[in-house]
Formats: sequence, C-alpha cells, structure tokens
Amino acid sequence: MGILVKEPGIFTTVQDGGRVGFQQYGVTPSGPMDERAFAQANLLVGNLEGTEELEMTFSGGRYLFEEAAVIALTGADMKPTVNGEPIPMYRAVSIAAGQELVLGFAVNGCRTYMAVTGGLEVTPVMGSKATLAGKHLGGIDGRKIMAGDNIGLTASVPALKDQAKRVFSRTSYPRKEITLRVVPGPQNNGFSREEYRKFFWYGAEITNECDRQGCRLQRKEPVRHIGDGNIISDGIAFGSIQIPPNGQPIIMMADRQTVGGYPKIGTVISVDLPLLAQARPGMKVRFVEVGIELAQELYLREKQTRKQIAERWGNA
Amino acid sequence: MDEIKILISGDKAVSVQMGEEISLEVNRRVLMLRAEMDRNPIPGVTETMPTYASLMVHYNPEVIRYRDLCKEIKVRAAAMQPLPEGEKRIVEVPVCYGGEYGPDLELCAKLEKTTPEEIIRKHSQHDYYVYMLGFAPGHPYAARFAEPYSFKRRETARVMIPGRSVVVQQNLSDLIPFDQPCGWNIIGQTPCDICNYKKEDPFLVHAGEWIRHRPVTPEEYQEIRARVEEGTWERTIIS
Repeated sequence: MGILVKEPGIFTTVQDGGRVGFQQYGVTPSGPMDERAFAQANLLVGNLEGTEELEMTFSGGRYLFEEAAVIALTGADMKPTVNGEPIPMYRAVSIAAGQELVLGFAVNGCRTYMAVTGGLEVTPVMGSKATLAGKHLGGIDGRKIMAGDNIGLTASVPALKDQAKRVFSRTSYPRKEITLRVVPGPQNNGFSREEYRKFFWYGAEITNECDRQGCRLQRKEPVRHIGDGNIISDGIAFGSIQIPPNGQPIIMMADRQTVGGYPKIGTVISVDLPLLAQARPGMKVRFVEVGIELAQELYLREKQTRKQIAERWGNA
Repeated sequence: MDEIKILISGDKAVSVQMGEEISLEVNRRVLMLRAEMDRNPIPGVTETMPTYASLMVHYNPEVIRYRDLCKEIKVRAAAMQPLPEGEKRIVEVPVCYGGEYGPDLELCAKLEKTTPEEIIRKHSQHDYYVYMLGFAPGHPYAARFAEPYSFKRRETARVMIPGRSVVVQQNLSDLIPFDQPCGWNIIGQTPCDICNYKKEDPFLVHAGEWIRHRPVTPEEYQEIRARVEEGTWERTIIS
C-alpha cells in the first residue's frame, strides 16, 4: 500500500519543516529549498505546517498510488499527468487507488513539491523526517528515493471537504534574472566600502555548482577582502553569502554545513530564498540591500497570510 | 570583560561574538552564555550553537524581533556564571596508527624530521580540547596546547577519505565521521563511530569535552570494531 516509486526522478527526497536543535552537533536542519511552495502544498491538502512532502529536482518521475489520496503539486511546472491526463498544479487533486502520477522535466523553475493529505510514513531521525542525503540521514534510508521504494501514507483520504476551493494562483518563476534582497552582516566589515558597494552594483551568474548544500556564483570581478578571506569559523544560516578567498560568492542553502571559515558579506532574506531555490544555472542574480526590520516584517506578513488561509480552509 | 558583539546573520539568526581569538578562555565564555540561555530561556529562540568564539542563536521572528532579542541576550550575558570547575570530561578515543589505518604517518614523520613513534607520542600524550562540532554531524574541531607539529595541510586535498579517519595539522586533530574530501594528513583510524544515528546519543564527543587518543594495535582495533558493530561498545570517560 502507499505510493510505489516506479521512476524516482533525478533527485527526489523527503523533506519536512527541518531538523531543529542539532546544529550544536554539526547536524544541519535540511528541510525544503523552496519553503513557500512547500508550505502552499501542505496548505492545499489540509496538512499541518511542516508536514513531510516529496521534493523533486529538475524532473519528477512515476508514482503508482496503491491507495486513494489527495495530493497537491506546487513549485516548478513538471507537466503532471494522471493515467495520461494532465492534472492541474497548485490545487488539491484526488488520486484513485491504482492510478499512476507522472511528472516530466521542469519547464519553469526547478523544484516541485508533492504533499499528500496526512503525510508520508517515514521514520523520523532526531525528531525529523527530512533527508540529508550527503550524510545518509533521515528520509528513506538516508538517501534520495529510488525505483521500487514503497512510501506509506499516514492516512488514506479520497477527498477533502470543499476541495474545489483549495486553489492557489500558480507561481511563475523568472527565466533570466532574479533579484535577491540581502541583510548585511555578519562580516560585511571585512570588505571596504567600495567593494561592498560593488557587490550590489554588479550582479553575478549562477554556476552549475548549485545544489541543496549551496549555490556558487561567478562574478566578472571577484569581491576583494580587506584581509586574507578567512575568519574564525562561525555559524552559517540559510541564505548566508560566503565570500571565500577567491572572491566568488557562495550562497548557503538547506543542506549547508553548520559552520564555516569564510567571511559572510550578507544573508539573503527568508522571503526571497524561494526565488533562488527555483533558479537555474546561467541565470543572473542581482542583490539589493535591506534592513533587518523590513526583512522580518515581510516574513511575518507572509506567515500571517498563510495562517489566514489555513483558517479559511478549516485546516487543523 | 570584553564587550559582546551581536552580529546579524539574516532575519532568523544572530552570531553573538564573545571575543576575537581562538582560546580556551573565549570558548568558555561562549559556553557560559549558552548555559545562561539554557537556564533562563528566551521565548522564540529555537536553538543555540557554540562555535570557537561566538554563539549562533537561531530564533523565530514571529515570537521575538531582532531588537528585543538583542536586549534579552545582553541580559543573559550580564548574568553569566563561571562554568563549574573540576569537571574536565576526557573522552578516550582508541586509534590505530600508521599502515593502512594511517597512510600518511610516515610522511608526517618525514615532514617533522622525526620518527613515526614521536608523531604518535605527541598525538596521544596531549589531550585535545573540542572547541565545537561542525562541518559534518559529530565532526569535532579539536586542538592541543603543547608541542604542535610544524606541518600544515597537504599540498593537494584528497577527493575522498574514509570515515573514522584521524587527521592532523599543526596543533589540530579532527575525527572524520563519514567519507569526505580532506586536505589534511591521515595518521590513523579509530574503530569507534564518530556519529551513529541509531544510538540515543549519536555523537562520540561533544563541544567542551577533551579527547585523549589511545594507541591500539590492529588486533585491538578489530576487537573494538566488532563490539561497536554489535552495539556493545561504550565510550570511556576519564575524569
């Protein structure tokens, strides 16, 4: 019973709200790369915030539902079909027992989320079902999913009340350039005023080395440090922009290491990280400086909106 | 006492800097602040993480905003108590040096213009302090305070070294939990799991503890490894 994985896609993992409390032991939180699309999928199927979902990268795969379920797909458009018929994304959809869900390559964005009403039967490790594939932790046996995996469903729900109302307008992701807002620090004083300004004046390009751990950028002119480009290693946040000695920025993502020894010129604000999570190699990135107050205000507003939607739809 | 510095690490974390050097004294201040924040928790703080010289504080801005958080942290910093003395926890870590276990031991001896035995003596006679865990789950950043080696990293890093490797440079020694790329010299391997998710406490060592490396023969290494795999081996704490 549950979902039988016929084809797994390029890199599909189980992710939940993340593993909290273990960074002091070197265990990074993981969790979704695109927290917004992840939250929307859970809202659509009536789940609690942070319930585990599948995160599919670049391509989706084939999934046989051995029991009925309500699912929602958000994020990158992978042209989903059920038994050959196209199904909408950003909407709660019923799947009958025996039907096959097929997702192709992402045509806009690069990560797709699939939430199932009730969630997935996965054994939590250190209080979380999130996968940290590089360290063999969490999810399905600490790895990306493979053909033949059978993922159990916590509940078998064929339909939700007022299911037709459970719709979001779809997100369209930029194809050429994204603008990320950045709060300066913690080591912005490791750069001269001029170098700091240049970081914002000139954008950068996303390289092929871009995954759940971090996103390496390429600038025509490297960012120059005042010192040698090393600091006493300290903590790294989701969105920290490290500038290693070679002056080419690395933005740290969901599976980042917990500490690092490169100066961090700034941090991408939470509400803009989804844009980067859906951006592809070759795209341009521009940075705009904002203050901490605005960054938190924007985050709070988004969370507030989600709470109102959850209430309106009668989610638990 | 130095003024603490609260650095912004995005909209959900701050890095509280307790000093600007890697030293036992500064690191103890980091652990003192953490102890105070455990004793008198700030609502909205989701987790704290000690590093060499700063405490990373992760928080939920829905519960507490940046300015209020800074005020609360300063209150905790002013109330910090010295850590209880006389509780130096030393974790004994068996190490099989040289040969297939430590392929770079001979090289290290050559670089140091000494014998492999002398490399082992310095490594096993001095205790290493664990400043923090990071980089990978359970990975200690540890240092000794006497007789540092003179060599640093290898000229080129290895693409992959096996988990449980014991690697060194200067006064530093790390235990590598999982296969990973590494630019340091490998002088031995421990039969112990540095991180085992199946255990209730998955981590061999913790921040603030000390490591004492105990030389073991290949036979004893195999014996301990068998017990580790059976789940009957327990770590030894010398206090």
